[in-house]
Amino acid sequence: MSENIWVVAQDAKAAGELCAGAQALGGVVHAVLLGCEEATKAAAANGAQTVVTASTPAANTLLEGYADALLALFEERGARLVMVQASTTGRLLAGKLASGLHTSALGATTLALDGEAVTVTYLVYGGTAVCTRRIISPTAVVTVGGGVFEAANAGADSAAIEQLTVTPNTPGITLKATAPKQGEQVNLSAAKRVIGVGRGFGAEGDLDLARSLATLIGAELACSRPITEGEDWMARERYIGVSGAVLKPDLYVAIGISGQVQHMVGVNQARTIVAINKDKNAPVFKQADVGIVGDLYTILPALTAALR
Amino acid sequence: MRVIACCKAAPEEQDIVVNGDGTLSFERAAWKFGSYDLNAVEAGRQLVEQVGGEVIGLTVGGEALASAKLRKDIISRGLDSLNIVTVAGSAVPDTLQTAQLLAAGLGKVGSYDLVLCGAGSSDEYTQQVGNQLGALLGIPTLNAINSITPNGTTVTVERVLENEVQTLEVTLPAVLSLTSGANTPRIAGMKDILAAGKKETTETTAAALGVDTTTVSAQVSSVVAPKQTARQRTILEGDVAEVTTKLIELIGADLR
Ligand SMILES: Cc1cc2nc3c(=O)[nH]c(=O)nc-3n(C[C@H](O)[C@H](O)[C@H](O)COP(=O)(O)OP(=O)(O)OC[C@H]3O[C@@H](n4cnc5c(N)ncnc54)[C@H](O)[C@@H]3O)c2cc1C
Ligand SMILES: Cc1cc2nc3c(=O)[nH]c(=O)nc-3n(C[C@H](O)[C@H](O)[C@H](O)COP(=O)(O)OP(=O)(O)OC[C@H]3O[C@@H](n4cnc5c(N)ncnc54)[C@H](O)[C@@H]3O)c2cc1C
Repeated sequence: MSENIWVVAQDAKAAGELCAGAQALGGVVHAVLLGCEEATKAAAANGAQTVVTASTPAANTLLEGYADALLALFEERGARLVMVQASTTGRLLAGKLASGLHTSALGATTLALDGEAVTVTYLVYGGTAVCTRRIISPTAVVTVGGGVFEAANAGADSAAIEQLTVTPNTPGITLKATAPKQGEQVNLSAAKRVIGVGRGFGAEGDLDLARSLATLIGAELACSRPITEGEDWMARERYIGVSGAVLKPDLYVAIGISGQVQHMVGVNQARTIVAINKDKNAPVFKQADVGIVGDLYTILPALTAALR
Repeated sequence: MRVIACCKAAPEEQDIVVNGDGTLSFERAAWKFGSYDLNAVEAGRQLVEQVGGEVIGLTVGGEALASAKLRKDIISRGLDSLNIVTVAGSAVPDTLQTAQLLAAGLGKVGSYDLVLCGAGSSDEYTQQVGNQLGALLGIPTLNAINSITPNGTTVTVERVLENEVQTLEVTLPAVLSLTSGANTPRIAGMKDILAAGKKETTETTAAALGVDTTTVSAQVSSVVAPKQTARQRTILEGDVAEVTTKLIELIGADLR
């Protein structure tokens, strides 16, 4: 594909990854950097020939306010494919761009070229299946998550730099305040061992049983979605699954987790899976290497004691 | 306040059977409305309980929507009425077309203050229909909304980004897509289910709305189950001391 691919990114990591991906697809790579001028280097080093920077908007406006300007830019310069960083902001921008470009915005866990058509794959039915799609509209708009591509950082670093001079505008929407999200930064994907806790835990304090085990074996603590969203016991960044983190640890221990497909799809690449559940018919046992049928409240203390 | 809750029915994923060749069989899968769309219904209901008004369901889909049970189920979760847009035959609209159909459907509903969508549908989960719909309507549009507080002609919303939470004031009408943690959808009681049968349901077709659903923007090449890693499936049961010892024996290498 010797056609124009435009990357839209909000940080250097995404700019590098997406530009590298666009280059691997064989496109002529251009990048729009929203409020992250410092990502220029990452974009250029990964093949961007043009870097358009858009400055951080005034305190009460959103990055999404650049949507119309981007649309005009892509129409004027010609874009075969627009790859947008899959953040909350990126998704909203992608939807606006797709409607403007008369196409559908799609997510992608992989992105490839099939002849001249862009092909994406992503999970459907909660992770039960992988859907492969060939985009046939003249312009494709795809959101791309972290880790789909790897930055190569091997480029010549010689991009033409431009600046988007428009003032972003989101009519009818005023940003009143921004607060940092509560909770800690976690990087589950780097962990070699992960312990996942689920609704089998009756109270927040009981998670300490899993915490002791995690400390003992040097594991990160993660969870099923209800633990972060129904119960608010753990940070959202810690839930595993189709809409959460997708991991590839050496060891995953699922404790009090039933093993629904939406959860397991996030760990089915683990080398070894251990499950502890009191229900012998829990689906998690079909997907585990070793399963213990029993009450976590007696198993965990015994296991921790035995390992000490 | 007139709130429109957009809901999509899809096959229950727990009942989808993976065939030997990785393809899917839907024969045993009953249709249900997406669990995240229930957040839209619930948010609408809560707003109306505060300031008065009505919550109108709007759904686009195929022949599965003919089911009286399915209709009653979604109405019983807190709708005052339901508007159905049916798409003929095997055509499945893409996100742009779904947004176009919803926009046309909204035209039929008349005036509205707020259009609510879920975090994503339970089958495709593209998380885009609300965004694309808002863009087509040309009204304020936001995703990842965690709470909505009404104040007359505007609403104050909380929006969850990766590292921060935004507080925004949004002029109505607007399209808001929620987070799945925005609320806990109510369980319908017997009374709600009985009452649902008496609520108004309006039906129209994509053809009548003049929306073409024959050419999609992306063709499906395949839908297959991902390859599963083979697992040992050793099950330990019985005496606590014995099973823990056995576990450590079996996975010792992974623990050191
Ligand atoms: C579109 C969509 C996306 C979703 N995405 C995700 C996702 O990304 N990640 C995710 O995790 N979920 C996701 N879900 C939710 C998912 O379907 C399940 O509801 C969820 O994973 C269940 O969590 P759980 O296993 O902790 O709870 P449950 O299913 O309630 O299981 C609890 C388990 O604990 C066991 N138990 C109870 N007490 C004990 C005890 N004392 N000792 C031992 N075992 C005990 C029970 O036997 C049971 O098996 C999604 C759902 C939808 C519809
Ligand atoms: C068997 C099958 C075949 C398909 N074939 C194609 C194809 O060939 N080409 C293609 O591009 N796409 C195809 N699709 C995808 C389908 O077009 C999308 O499911 C649809 O566009 C809606 O997007 P979504 O489900 O990802 O909704 P999301 O964007 O995830 O939904 C977000 C929210 O929008 C609202 N919403 C979404 N859909 C509706 C609806 N129908 N009615 C009311 N509210 C709604 C809900 O509030 C929902 O929570 C196919 C899907 C299936 C199941």
